[in-house]
Amino acid sequence: MIVPLSWLKEYVDITLTPKELGEKLTEVGLGCEKIIKTKDDVIFELEITPNRPDCLSIIGVAREIAAIENKKIKFPQLPNILKTQKPLPLIVKTDSKINPRFTGIIISGIKVGESPKWLKEKLEKMNQRPINNIVDITNYVMLELGNPIHAFDYDKIIGNIMTVSQTKGGEKFESVDGIAYRLPKDAVVISDKEKIIDLCGIKGGKNSGTYKETKTIFIRVPVEIPNLIRKSSQALGLRSDASSIFERGVNAGGTIDALKRTTDLVLELAGGKIASNPYDLKEINFKPWKLKLRKDRLNQILGINIPLKKTIDILESLNLSPVHLPGEQRRHLDDARKGGRIECTIPTYRNDLKIEEDLIEEVARIYGYNNFPKTMPKGVIPTVQVPYFKDYALDEKVKNILKASGFSEIYTYSLIGDKDLTENNIDPEKILRVDNPVSRDFEYLRPTLKINLLKAFIQNKSNFEKINLFELGKVYSGKSLDEAKEIYYLSGITNNKNFFEVKGLLEKIFEDLGIKENSTKYIEILNDGIFFEINYSELIKDFNPNKTFKPLPKYPPIVEDLSIITEGDVKTSDLISEIKNQSPLVVDVSLLDQFKNSKTFHIVYQDKNKNLTGEGVAEIREKILKSLQSKFHAELNN
Amino acid sequence: MEEELMQIKNSAVSMIIDASDQKELEEIKLQFLGRSGKLTLTLKEITKIPAEKRAIVGQLANEVKRVIEESIESKLSSLISYFSSQRKQNIDVTAPGIKPGIGHLHPMTQVLHDVIDIFKGIGFQVADGPEIETDYYNFTALNMPPNAPSRDTQATLYLDTKNSNAQPGQILLRTQTSNMQVRTMEKIKPPVRVIVPGKVYRVDDVDASHGFEFWQLEGFCIDKNVRLTDLFGTIDYVLKKVYGEKTKIKFATTNFGFVEPGVDTYMECTVCKGKGCNFCKQSGWSEIMPAGMVHPNVLKAAGYDSQKVSGFAFCIGLSRLVTLRYQMDDLRLLTNPDLRILEQF
Repeated sequence: MIVPLSWLKEYVDITLTPKELGEKLTEVGLGCEKIIKTKDDVIFELEITPNRPDCLSIIGVAREIAAIENKKIKFPQLPNILKTQKPLPLIVKTDSKINPRFTGIIISGIKVGESPKWLKEKLEKMNQRPINNIVDITNYVMLELGNPIHAFDYDKIIGNIMTVSQTKGGEKFESVDGIAYRLPKDAVVISDKEKIIDLCGIKGGKNSGTYKETKTIFIRVPVEIPNLIRKSSQALGLRSDASSIFERGVNAGGTIDALKRTTDLVLELAGGKIASNPYDLKEINFKPWKLKLRKDRLNQILGINIPLKKTIDILESLNLSPVHLPGEQRRHLDDARKGGRIECTIPTYRNDLKIEEDLIEEVARIYGYNNFPKTMPKGVIPTVQVPYFKDYALDEKVKNILKASGFSEIYTYSLIGDKDLTENNIDPEKILRVDNPVSRDFEYLRPTLKINLLKAFIQNKSNFEKINLFELGKVYSGKSLDEAKEIYYLSGITNNKNFFEVKGLLEKIFEDLGIKENSTKYIEILNDGIFFEINYSELIKDFNPNKTFKPLPKYPPIVEDLSIITEGDVKTSDLISEIKNQSPLVVDVSLLDQFKNSKTFHIVYQDKNKNLTGEGVAEIREKILKSLQSKFHAELNN
Repeated sequence: MEEELMQIKNSAVSMIIDASDQKELEEIKLQFLGRSGKLTLTLKEITKIPAEKRAIVGQLANEVKRVIEESIESKLSSLISYFSSQRKQNIDVTAPGIKPGIGHLHPMTQVLHDVIDIFKGIGFQVADGPEIETDYYNFTALNMPPNAPSRDTQATLYLDTKNSNAQPGQILLRTQTSNMQVRTMEKIKPPVRVIVPGKVYRVDDVDASHGFEFWQLEGFCIDKNVRLTDLFGTIDYVLKKVYGEKTKIKFATTNFGFVEPGVDTYMECTVCKGKGCNFCKQSGWSEIMPAGMVHPNVLKAAGYDSQKVSGFAFCIGLSRLVTLRYQMDDLRLLTNPDLRILEQF
């Protein structure tokens, strides 16, 4: 919303400097994004939240400033609408379910022409293009008061009839700016005897607009159903100033004021005379409503005691007509009633004020969020484990092992393109997909971390010789949403470590997590590196945080290296387990060295109950050699 | 005897000064202070002198001992540094060091773990939730019913429902980690203090401060008598812990369906130090954390009685928090796997 300071000043005295005003407006909820100084004015650009359609008008912003400055607002002078003895004929058929209020009047004998300078300048400051005096007045009053208004050329309404109805879908409509549309189903439109003349709440029709030759106009100030406007506007991809107001909820009690203001200006700037009694078709009276605020509840939610007088002043400055009903002092009543209630009367332009908490916000924001003290929650700290608990300390532990091993961590997008999939021989048909992707490159949910890691690997090749990368992140499995699962994967890629180093790294991770798992199956040997990918969510289910201290051995071990020559294809792991199996006194076996078919094992013998003797070890060694020979035809290498 | 002690001191000190290595110093120490060292032996004679002089002599003997010990110590340290510098001369110490081959944790991880630690310190637990979410938990349960204009600010990526029982538009990629509010609350009773870090998705044009995939950190605290001042205090505490006690923070009113009153948090832009830059859209402030008191309708959806419990919720733009912490001027740096970026952290 663009707001010129000069226009605001017509309704409220402003003492704050533009910079201070901008800051205060932001604090109360009208986010001031820019302050532009022009040669004769200051323009504020405000971000209006969806709950405040009233602030899509100058008067709405002026009201907020009046509350900030604690001043009264000067509402424009409105005439009483004159009735006429000789009304022109016009039948209006409407339905409050699709058009809750239809306010309007006919003015005849007008002269369409250029707007006066002051009006054109005002519109231009608001980035609006002046068109002619009638259209400009309707735009002006909408910007001023926040009620959208449309002027029809009365003489083009065939049959003197206006019928509000919903479309069946597919109807042709040409907007006042000359663009042709096919209307969606359920759009609210006005038709005359022959054709659609208005797309309600969004755009007027070209066939009934106000042009040079127009002599008689019908001014319509409606209330529309937000959802219906929203749906049509979205379906057509067509938004207007009017539709943004109607979508969010127009001031339903403001149509008569807007009609008076418009009529007054038309008579002044375009001449003519009132040619109908005012129309105001509605089923309910759009009256202000009552809302109560318990003073004790206010204190309780805010955490401070704003004095009663200050509270009343704030509500008064917001035009909410507060009336304090003192609390009952009888002892048995609970605390909540002691401070009494403040009954407010909510003006129809404040559709956002519906519950007590809304009033609490009103008091708090005008009091000023930055004037509040800061406290910490007082209650008990929860000790029961929260649902959906995640142990980030475990992630940190794993990541630190990878980091210590030289791997750097990356974060990549979960969304990938179909090309990414097909290049990696994955059928996109079997991958979860977004219906409305931001681009083809980000259409599918990744089923693996490999694709992004490979890309990262290639990207870094131009700058680095040695690359070690990993990611711990979600992958998304399931061919359709019914089977969709989000699983954490831990994956890495390296061209700087060999298979055994990666294997050892994974073994170290498993060991630290207390998990018994074979790491080989997670490792893939690529053309130019090693890749690993682990289903991390699955893996950490076996996480065992318990570590038990084992007392240090009282008796020294005997250590020896045995070189073995094997024949044919013998697996090292088989040899190691065979050696271990020969005696419980063999406490550790590791591969020290290998060359061709010779392998040297480092063997630790230890008895926790007594000193081992050379003879005892020789006995075990014999057993080992014997079994290795019989099972693997392995011989001692002398 | 006093003279004798002075001689011992002088000869010891001159020997210490002349010593050329550690071994020699050890020998000197033994020679004077050892069990049969010169000073020790001399002191044994102290019984032979008249009683009234013993105190003075004893004092002097202690002084001599102290001087010898200190001289040895200082000589020893000068010898050590002398030898070290001698050895350094044998190599070119100006050649670059050989760093251990340690990798780097992503800045997101580093900040996330810091933030988690800070919240743990004030009693919050950490939860994790789905990114593939229903419309209900992402919007409707949060007082954002279908067609609520408040949904406009969160353009949503919807998932393809083919071959599934879901209706089009029903399943989406969560637009906010707030989806975990009702999910968590409906499973437990207050008191609740939870944070939920995670990825969220929006239909958005990508630029320096926007993206279609980014990180948030949701938090909420529900209990009897949780107050707006508690929200202000918690945000202030956390941001000052992350960015330092001098961090400038301001609060403003805003509107999100699931909070009332609604609060927005701004922090002085760390990139330009409040002067205005592209990252903060020239405002000098960075919007970092929408928050507010949990709306009664949300408490109701969770099965809580809004007259008995109250609470606050906030949603930290985690990606933005990270970039602000390291003065990175573009959110896209966080998803760029270039090691030249990663190695800076």
